Amino acid sequence: MKPPAQQERGPATMLPVGSPAAVRRYVRLLARRHRRGFGAVVVLHSVSTLAGLVGPWLLGGLVERIGAGGPVRLLPAVGWYAAALAVQSAFMGWSRLRGSILGEEVLADLREDFLVRSVALPPGVLERAGTGDLVSRGTTDIDRLAKSVREAVPELAVALVSVVLVLGALLVTSPLLALTSVLGVPLLLVTSRWYFRRAPQSYRAEGAGYAAVNTVLAETVDAGRTVEALRLGGQRVRLTDRKIAEWVAWERYTMWLRTVWFPSVDATYAIAVLATLTVGGLAAVHGRLSIGQLTAGVLYAQALVHPVDLILRWYDELQIGQASLARLVGVQEVTAPETDERARPQGREVTAEEVSFGYREGADVLHAISLAVAPGSRVALVGPSGAGKSTLGRLLAGIYAPRKGSVTLGGAALSRMPAERVRAEVALVNQEHHVFVGTLRDNLRLARATAGDTELHDALAAVDATAWVAALPAGLDTEVGSGGTALTPPQAQQLALARLVLADPHTLVLDEATSLLDPRAARQLERSLARVLAGRTVIAIAHRLHTAHDADVIAVVERGRISEYGSHPELVAAAGPYAALWRSWRDE
Amino acid sequence: MPLVDLPMPDPGRPDLRGPLPFLRWLGRSQRRGQLLATLWAVLETGCQAALPAALGLGIQSAVDHWAAGVWRAAALALGLAVLQSVGGVNCHRQAVWNWITAAAQTRQLVARQASRLGAGLSRRIATGELVAVSSGDVEKIGWYVELMARVRAAVLVWLGVSVVVLVRQPLLGLVVLLGVPVLAVSVWPLLGPFERRYDEQRALGGKAGELAADTVAGLRVLRGIGGEELFLARYREASQQVRGAAVRSARIWSLMQAQQVLLPGLFVIGVTWYGAELALSGRIGVGELVAVYGATAFLAAPLRVLGEAAHAWSVARVSAGRAVRVLALSRLEEPAGPAGDQGRLPGAGVPETGPAAADGAELPEADSADLYDPVTGLTVRAGRLTAVVCGDPDVAGALAARLGGHVPLAEGEQPEPAARLGGVPLDTAPLAAARAAVLVHDKEPALLSGTLAALLDVPASGRVAVPEAMAAAQAEDVLEALVEGSPECGGDALLATVTERGRSLSGGQRQRLALARSLFADPPVLVLDEPTSAVDAHTEARVAAGLRGLRAGRTTVVLATSPLLLDQADVVALVQEGRVAATGTHCELLHTHPHYRAVVTREDDHPSLQEAS
Repeated sequence: MKPPAQQERGPATMLPVGSPAAVRRYVRLLARRHRRGFGAVVVLHSVSTLAGLVGPWLLGGLVERIGAGGPVRLLPAVGWYAAALAVQSAFMGWSRLRGSILGEEVLADLREDFLVRSVALPPGVLERAGTGDLVSRGTTDIDRLAKSVREAVPELAVALVSVVLVLGALLVTSPLLALTSVLGVPLLLVTSRWYFRRAPQSYRAEGAGYAAVNTVLAETVDAGRTVEALRLGGQRVRLTDRKIAEWVAWERYTMWLRTVWFPSVDATYAIAVLATLTVGGLAAVHGRLSIGQLTAGVLYAQALVHPVDLILRWYDELQIGQASLARLVGVQEVTAPETDERARPQGREVTAEEVSFGYREGADVLHAISLAVAPGSRVALVGPSGAGKSTLGRLLAGIYAPRKGSVTLGGAALSRMPAERVRAEVALVNQEHHVFVGTLRDNLRLARATAGDTELHDALAAVDATAWVAALPAGLDTEVGSGGTALTPPQAQQLALARLVLADPHTLVLDEATSLLDPRAARQLERSLARVLAGRTVIAIAHRLHTAHDADVIAVVERGRISEYGSHPELVAAAGPYAALWRSWRDE
Repeated sequence: MPLVDLPMPDPGRPDLRGPLPFLRWLGRSQRRGQLLATLWAVLETGCQAALPAALGLGIQSAVDHWAAGVWRAAALALGLAVLQSVGGVNCHRQAVWNWITAAAQTRQLVARQASRLGAGLSRRIATGELVAVSSGDVEKIGWYVELMARVRAAVLVWLGVSVVVLVRQPLLGLVVLLGVPVLAVSVWPLLGPFERRYDEQRALGGKAGELAADTVAGLRVLRGIGGEELFLARYREASQQVRGAAVRSARIWSLMQAQQVLLPGLFVIGVTWYGAELALSGRIGVGELVAVYGATAFLAAPLRVLGEAAHAWSVARVSAGRAVRVLALSRLEEPAGPAGDQGRLPGAGVPETGPAAADGAELPEADSADLYDPVTGLTVRAGRLTAVVCGDPDVAGALAARLGGHVPLAEGEQPEPAARLGGVPLDTAPLAAARAAVLVHDKEPALLSGTLAALLDVPASGRVAVPEAMAAAQAEDVLEALVEGSPECGGDALLATVTERGRSLSGGQRQRLALARSLFADPPVLVLDEPTSAVDAHTEARVAAGLRGLRAGRTTVVLATSPLLLDQADVVALVQEGRVAATGTHCELLHTHPHYRAVVTREDDHPSLQEAS
């Protein structure tokens, strides 16, 4: 059976995935950190397994003596057996507990390390790569790893210990029987190799197929109005059925893999038990093996089944975990742009000189743009979509470094300054107004960690937010963000503005900050915004002409170049395209 | 054995009287699969239970120095091993397939329900709940349905083995008959506390996960403004709480692990002790003693499925309950003739996309009929471009929805009089016919993910070509952005992928792409609610001209406040306090109506850059 055709791949990720060497390095680091815990688990489990070997050994002796017809005292044997059982179960529980504690410590390290690395990512990388991939690494991959670390790693370690000890017991009992019980191993190795070369990616595809059904459904639900308006109901049902068929095809394929592999595993066990029984039985008939050895050997051979099963079962889980780990470690490999500690601005003038920039090699979005923004002045960037206004804004905010030319703040190259220094001077305000899960206070204090309540209230007052904040159930302590009190989009935007007041950068780049809001809200927000802007240098990417009208200087950006430049009256007098647009807007 | 083909051509009509009836209905619709899984499981566990007897036989033969006996025992063991393997693999296949069947069937039902409820859905239920049914709940439902076959098999094998032993050794048989179920349920007392702690761990884990996702999602803000350390500290605290809770639940779990070694072990010791006494007194052979030991050591395992079943029932009941609630929802809307009832039958088919199948009022030829809204008194002339200016965006949104008819209501909401197309209330026409006549393009039309070709695969008149629609909506740069973002498309924009909700595009790009789609659909009546609110002035002016050109001679309504759009309309209506207050051209109203002028030019208050300086 052939695997189903691969479904379309998701969009390529912009963040790197860790190399095998990097993953190994990280695993070694974790192993060193948790050396003692790991050792304890192995020792405790060894004791438990050894105690578990006592039962079959006692039974073997018993069978031998009863078979020989000799006098047998049962009570001591029963007593020993019970004592061994008590030790086995106690140490079993203890080793599992230590294993869990270890697993949880490793897991906590993994997720915390990941977040530490994530919050150190350069802003330019975040801007380009978006946060979607990073979020899925921080949730889905962490969850997958949790399964590996909580279950697969301890189970595998424990099973390996068991296999080694049981084989040891077999060797002690009878080398011959140790040999017969591993007769099936070559078969197991061949078929498992076949299976594990196909299994991991197939299970991943199966999981992706399962999730794809939900994605389609979630979209149908989310887009309910659109689906109904455009009469797409039937189409969505057919699409879901097709996604179900794709998922089921993968289920069928992985099932086929197991249909081949499971019987071969069964056969391995059967070979071990049968060979031990036959060879051992015949050897006993000929007196080369005692009945006690035979009984214990057969039972030990059976005792191998469970740990080997565990190894096989958790092996691919471990591989899945490894893939997730590679994605987590990959975040580490993002190279931060070189920064220069000595790059310190002398003054507040933002200057772009002959700046060219493109996201891809050979495809520049901006061509040799020069622009000087005097401290305290207001510049509006206008122009059609896709002209490069937003890109220019991001260069002026120091998020991207120019490919050619330079963007400087007070004479120092913005792209050479560390992100922490840039943001003390320049901030980008866009449509994204994320409200973090947490209290309103947390949401504000991120801009200035030392701020007291008075400062926070002052900042809120500055953006006209005092009234609604006072109406919140617990004021600054109200839990907001997803799951908490929901803020309206204008409130969220005011919150973002209050953060700006607290962070207090002297230059702001506004990227259509209010364009997604409905006009009423936009007007109220613009009032809040106006207060925040007072006394700062402002570079505004403007959609609405009245914003441009009020600026000191307007730069019309078209096809990556500044096509018109001057104050509003100057541009209107020049009677160019801007003037025409203004007239149709104002109907003058 | 051939497995049933999935997805089913028709998932059927579920029994929605409750969780248990629903689960039973799922089980009934895969009766053959259930029967086969039971039989295969009986074969597998039966052989497993018999294997120790073969081993005992071999050891007995060795004791008796009977080589042929050893061979015979080996042959028996081989036969059992082969049968067990056949039973095992087939049982696995059938059980997994039963699980998949139940899950796929439920997902098909949910998908049909989602399409049927359409716009009414979000008014009635949190969208997350419906998706939860399809993701997490179907797993649990499938698990329970599949498990029933294995439960039946385990009980059959336990009874069978008990009978065999009872016949040979009544006392031992009795011990097996009664002791095994006790062992199987012995873990239950710990299960409750474990689940409570596990739930706590999961809740904390969920919170920490949310916190991580939230922090990462807002990372651009953190990196742009600051606060990384604050958020890291918060996350560390949450993460350590999860660790603490996980260790607490691991304490009980490790206790359960120890208990699962101890109790079956004691049972084995007891039974073996008794067996040894029998063997000593010569009533059974040593081979049989080994068989007794092996069989008791194995027997508790299959009956653990009872514990699993108890657990499965406790979670599947909740999941099935949610599925039933979701599947029983109906579109809440004032019944308006037979069409209103169409959506009330649970499990009814997919809404027809073609011409109305159900009875209902016949709509006039939509191309040449005027549209009238009794609430505002707005009349939209056929074949004209009408603009509506409304200071309150909510009123505008409600007006747009009314113009399409069949407005879904939230629980307890009172319906408003329906808009009339050529005098016929739209609500009295079948839903599909109303939607075919009037397309309402709301404020935030969704972009469904997939290729651009799939996005544009909407019922369309065929009069407008894709490039024309794209050009009119000024969406050409969107095509470039899409091609750039999906290297796999090989430069063909139609094969480029639009990500979920069009997230890879900017707000303005999304709006223009959605507008292009509606223009391509080219409905007889098109109602556009703020179609260019996120588009810059340069582009908006071009979109307005493109819209006018492409919709020439077709009925179009634009709800907007931007002069650039209003200027292109044949007629503009001003809605004030819920009623049409004035009509005329943009130019006329601008010079005669001060309120109109205030709304569209924002002269009254435009605090912006100037005010601050």
